[in-house]
Amino acid sequence: MESSELYNVKQQFILGAYSSLIDLTMPDPNSPDYNPILLYKARAQIASGKPESVEDLVPSDTEDVSLKAVSALAKYRAAGEDDKESALEELRDLCVEIEGEDAGADEKQKGMVKVLAGTAFVWAGEVEEALETLGAGTNHENLEAVAITVQIYLSLSRPDLATKEYNRSKRWAEDDLLLQLIESSIDLVQISNNAYSNPNSFYNEQLGNPSLTSPHLLTARGVTRLLKGEVQGAKSDFEEALSQKPEDAETMAAVTVAAGLPGSKKDEAESLWSDLTSKYPQHPLVLDVEKKAEVFDDFATKFTVPALATAA
Amino acid sequence: MSVMLTKFESKSNRVKGLAFHPTQPLLAASLHNGSVQLWNYRMGVLVDRFEEHEGPVRGVDIHPSRPLLASGGDDYKIKVWDIRPQSRRCLFTLHGHLDYVRSVQFHHEMPWILSCSDDQTIRIWNSTSRNCIAILTGHSHYVFSARFHPKEDLVVSASMDQTVRVWDISGLRKSTPNNNAPGTFDTFDNFSTVKYVMEGHDRGVNFAMFHPTLPLIISAADDRQIKIWRMSETKAWEVDACRGHFNNVSSAVFHPKHELIVSCGEDKTVRVWDLAKRTAIQTFRREHDRFWVLAAHPNLNLFAAGHDNGLIVFKLERERPPFALHGDTLYYIRDKYVRSYDLNTGSDIGLLSVRKFGSPYVPPRTLSFNPAERAVLMTVSSDNGLFELAGLPSNGSAAGEVKDSSVDGKRGSGHSAIFVARNRFAVLNKTTQLIEVRDLSNSIVKSIKPPVQTNEIFYGGTASLILSSTASVVLYDIQQQKTIAEVNTPPVKYVVWNADGSLVALLSKHTITIANRNFSQHCLIHETIRIKSGAWDDAGVFIYSTLNHIKYCLAQGDHGVICTLDNPVYLTRVKGKTIHCLDRSARPRTITFDPTEYRFKLALIKNNHEEMLYIIRTSNLLGQSIIAYLQQKGFPEIALHFVEDKKTRFDLAIECGNLEVASDTARAIDRPECWERLAQQALKQGNHKIVEKAYQQTKKFENLSFLYLITGSTEKLSKMQKIADARGDPMARFQNALYAGDVLGRINVLKDVGMFPLAYLTAKTNGLDEVAMEILEAAGLSEADVDDVPDFGMSTLKLPSIITPTGELNWPSISVGESFWDKALANGGLMEGADVPYTNGDAAGGLSAALDEWAAEEEAPEEIDEGGWDLDAGGEDAEPIAAGDEDEVPMEDADLGAGAAPGVSETELWTRNSPFAADHVSAGSFDTAMQLLNRQFGVVNFSSLKSLFLLTYRSSHTYFSPLGSLPPLQLHLRRNPAESSSSRVLPVAVRTLQSIRSELVEGFRALSGSKLPEAQAIYRSVLSELLLVAISSDQEAKEWRDLVTTAREYLLGVSIELERRRVVAEDPENAKRNLELAAYFTHCKLQPPHLQIALRSAILHFSKANNNGTAAKFARRLLELNPDPKVAANARQRIAAGERNPRDAVEVSYDQFTEFEICAATYTPIYKGSSSARCPYTDAAYLPEFAGKLDPLIQLTEIGAPASGLPAPR
Repeated sequence: MESSELYNVKQQFILGAYSSLIDLTMPDPNSPDYNPILLYKARAQIASGKPESVEDLVPSDTEDVSLKAVSALAKYRAAGEDDKESALEELRDLCVEIEGEDAGADEKQKGMVKVLAGTAFVWAGEVEEALETLGAGTNHENLEAVAITVQIYLSLSRPDLATKEYNRSKRWAEDDLLLQLIESSIDLVQISNNAYSNPNSFYNEQLGNPSLTSPHLLTARGVTRLLKGEVQGAKSDFEEALSQKPEDAETMAAVTVAAGLPGSKKDEAESLWSDLTSKYPQHPLVLDVEKKAEVFDDFATKFTVPALATAA
Repeated sequence: MSVMLTKFESKSNRVKGLAFHPTQPLLAASLHNGSVQLWNYRMGVLVDRFEEHEGPVRGVDIHPSRPLLASGGDDYKIKVWDIRPQSRRCLFTLHGHLDYVRSVQFHHEMPWILSCSDDQTIRIWNSTSRNCIAILTGHSHYVFSARFHPKEDLVVSASMDQTVRVWDISGLRKSTPNNNAPGTFDTFDNFSTVKYVMEGHDRGVNFAMFHPTLPLIISAADDRQIKIWRMSETKAWEVDACRGHFNNVSSAVFHPKHELIVSCGEDKTVRVWDLAKRTAIQTFRREHDRFWVLAAHPNLNLFAAGHDNGLIVFKLERERPPFALHGDTLYYIRDKYVRSYDLNTGSDIGLLSVRKFGSPYVPPRTLSFNPAERAVLMTVSSDNGLFELAGLPSNGSAAGEVKDSSVDGKRGSGHSAIFVARNRFAVLNKTTQLIEVRDLSNSIVKSIKPPVQTNEIFYGGTASLILSSTASVVLYDIQQQKTIAEVNTPPVKYVVWNADGSLVALLSKHTITIANRNFSQHCLIHETIRIKSGAWDDAGVFIYSTLNHIKYCLAQGDHGVICTLDNPVYLTRVKGKTIHCLDRSARPRTITFDPTEYRFKLALIKNNHEEMLYIIRTSNLLGQSIIAYLQQKGFPEIALHFVEDKKTRFDLAIECGNLEVASDTARAIDRPECWERLAQQALKQGNHKIVEKAYQQTKKFENLSFLYLITGSTEKLSKMQKIADARGDPMARFQNALYAGDVLGRINVLKDVGMFPLAYLTAKTNGLDEVAMEILEAAGLSEADVDDVPDFGMSTLKLPSIITPTGELNWPSISVGESFWDKALANGGLMEGADVPYTNGDAAGGLSAALDEWAAEEEAPEEIDEGGWDLDAGGEDAEPIAAGDEDEVPMEDADLGAGAAPGVSETELWTRNSPFAADHVSAGSFDTAMQLLNRQFGVVNFSSLKSLFLLTYRSSHTYFSPLGSLPPLQLHLRRNPAESSSSRVLPVAVRTLQSIRSELVEGFRALSGSKLPEAQAIYRSVLSELLLVAISSDQEAKEWRDLVTTAREYLLGVSIELERRRVVAEDPENAKRNLELAAYFTHCKLQPPHLQIALRSAILHFSKANNNGTAAKFARRLLELNPDPKVAANARQRIAAGERNPRDAVEVSYDQFTEFEICAATYTPIYKGSSSARCPYTDAAYLPEFAGKLDPLIQLTEIGAPASGLPAPR
């Protein structure tokens, strides 16, 4: 049983309350919780797009494989195109290392290494390698690995496989918060009657959770509302989220989408869009739309446009 | 009824007879020691004792409508008592029985008393004449019981002679009035005859009674059996027997409401039997006491049983109906049906049968409702505790049989079960002390060992449980598996959360604990009477019900009574002035009450003066209690506003230092002690003007003078001198002179009272030698005579000089905080109070926006459903979309692992499922979208559609990452979130006809405002956007076509007008073209207001060009449109001008009598019958030579291209 401090840290990480995690004061370095909490803190840094700061956080001479892995992941996320490969190699080495008998790492650390390596592989687009590392379809009891596996399956439009993975974990995961998150995320993709009510209630419930607040939760609920077709409700969630955390990429992207739907002013969508493109040119939504714009031009040229009919 | 719920127990001598009071909570018990006790079983007190019988009293009864009690004892006597406390006594004694009296009973309407005795007779007495009016003989041994039929003129008796007899006493009713003379036994027998003799018991029969409604009789006998008999008009026969008691059965009664029999016996048990099946349902054992008698309450679910050492009052089942409230809907269980009750409309619908859940005799105990899943979770206490999870039908009003929960319900064993999240519920197993968290498929996802011995669990907020233990409640975090807080309280039975989940009330038998959501603050309320239920008012006041009151309780612990109750109710919801509740038979009821008192107290606590004022103004909240409350709570200034009584008002005003009110009331009361107290208080506050007035009123001259001295009011001091003169009080005169520094005055006083030496000295020391001399002379002395008087020198006594003229002003005192009140009351401010600041029950106001949204949402799915799967029309267009009802073959299990191949993405499904370009664009499949547009509408020039495509695509997907450390998922917005089939799923409608229509209206406005280029742009964009609308019904298709046509006509019109203006600007000589274009504009199909503009413009230009004849024709057309009078007058002038001069100066190519269309490229007429080419999308007409060119109106399509048109709606 983990200490309540570690539990809270974990809960914050799972629910995306990264900023409060980053601001967290670390416990005594001798405490057994020190390394796990450090790990979450570093991961929060990475997830909130500041992988550079992990270097200062994690001692370079650490023996802990999971800490090594997190610095490697940070390096990978911070690195430019050319240096990414070396960071990936580092992670691959770590994965091999923990398989060895004399690794001296406990199960938790091993699992964490896999999770971190899997994360990096996903970012690198190495889906197959990620799934293999995470042990998809095998009988492990690493819930974080399951969570990542499920999200990979979902990104592949395979909610069926995701559900299988989830059902498998249900047997041992003791209704962990993360398990509920996994369950709710499957329903974001799966086509089923009332699919969105589950994630919607999940985030509703978590918003009522007294022990943490996070704009991410508001955004998340907004997204579920958007999916449910409650555009106005979604917008108010996004607005509130933005007022708590201005210029959050995820929220800005979502609010842009919402503004394009009926019931919004015309110019609003455009100004939000130009905001988003200028601030986050790398956001997948921006990239995707740009790609589509190119595709459009391509296809449009396939039609020959005759001369305009005018009175001579 | 797996439990016998003991309500009351008493210890005494052996109880031989019992009788319930029909309306009050009273129970009469006759004892073996000769005493008759009257108990209040609700309060648990002995109300009275009647002790005149000698020897055991076996029979007792209470009159159904009058305060009378009858008792019959071993002293052969029947006594009738008045049980009213003020006149309790034995009214009379009936003598006649010759042996022990075994039972007595009042008739329900006649003034008759029925008794039976060991003398083998049954007697009927008239309690008015106090005579025996009938003796029923026939039993050949002791008669142990005799009972009237509840309706008919029948008596059933049970005897030691092993028979049960039914007697017909209808003759008695007819002849009673005449029969007052003591008759012989023979005459009695004439009108009371044995109707049936029922033999079957093998031993003496102890008790027999009629069923309240059915023609049934039960009897209890020493042969250990209970027999059930049925009677017809002519005979009676044994139906069946209940066997199970292993000793003599003392008594057996029908349950007044259910098909049950309750019996008791000397085997120390009380047993419950099913009347229909004659099977034993329950047995309650007592260790040492044999049961002798049993009584059923005539109306309530209450029984009493007498045994060797006292009696017990018990009920057989919990009456608290299980319920759960969600929004304005109450879900509850009545008669084993889950029902929903809409608190607003009062509609009450059965949704689900739970008849097969648990024992058929035991109603479910708790109900938990899950709004997300529309499921209920119930527990029942039979079979050692069961729970069942069942979904409610979404539409309960469906006619016919409601579903039984056993069809798809999920069950398990457990004592307490509640939902803890939308898809989780917790089940407590009391014996193993394990809490299982289960998911909706009923599989255990987690097991928790509670930290304390837990008897019941309740919802504790997000991811938390409230565990009820024997001496405390624990708030427990499920996730973390740890205790968050623990509060000591007696066992908690119910938990009620307020609407926003910030406060919780924990209800025990006699206490309520109000706590906040993490139990960090709480307060405890004690009640002497049992607490039944509670509900939160929207304002944060807890309303609860006890056995006989409805009360309120504020969060800080204040509580009070709202109203009294005859029978307990179970509160479900409090809204405004209405309490919604369920009564004991689980019928929804409402109680209207006056919440003023607690609202006022709440406002007081919250310092909400506006609301307090409002309440004061609008209600008659008066009386000592509220005043005392206010005083006690330290708000005398507020209490002041309630008080009419002058004395109290004065007291309060003094207490809160409101001198103004105090002096007003003092004047009204005008009593010395009031003035005194006022003076004291005013002195304390430095308000000397009021002090002065008070002193004046009480004629305290000395005090007044001193007051004037210290306030430096010399003028008034001199007045006081005069008053003193008038009063002739030398002491006062002297004093005032002293204060005023009036030396002469002092001397005069001294002289007047004959104190010449002092007068002399005063004069002397003040340098008034002449006066001194006068005094000497007056005394008949000379200066020489006073030689021996030492020289005192000059007096140094001087008047204090006035630095601050206090006399003119009052010391400023601290302003008293009630300026609000003063102002409000001074304004007579009822008006401002009129807008009710109290928002209880009014919370809906803020929600109306959200409601509107819902309403809109409700409309949407309908539209979508309408089209359904209409594949026939336009089928060939649908062809590029694969029939698509089957997904690709699902991958095998081997897939589950590293080598997972991507599945069918949702965008792919979208393109498969829709023939509309809009949906393909949403899916990002731009090439198919373009092909569709090309095929359907002949669109060839896509460049201007690019931003539209991108915007549509952009708004159909959102990015979100459940796990922040991974790249986000692309989520797809669906048109119908409830769609469950992948072969029907479609993208969100980014553009709807409605949104486009509003844009078109904007275009109209631009046209009216003569902003033509703007209007042209709007119509163009409307036409582009209409290309990207997905249609779901024929109706919509028609609307779509109308919109296209309208937009086209306006675009054409505006384009013509723009062209005309261009001609005027660039080629002003070309009057002919100018006029022609103006004329064509009038032929676009515009709405009347816009057509008027076109016509007026045409009239103007034609008359300018002196084409008065044509101008007149336009004017006639204008008049047909009923323009406003000014325009109409002008038009008439034009007509007149045209009639005077019907010639046209400029010849134009315009023939209004032949129908024509206008070529949108050249703006020339294409008369009917001539050939034309068409725009494949808008159907605009062009001269045939333009076929194959790009259309100039919208610049999208190829003129004359083949097109299939809009596909059939989906």
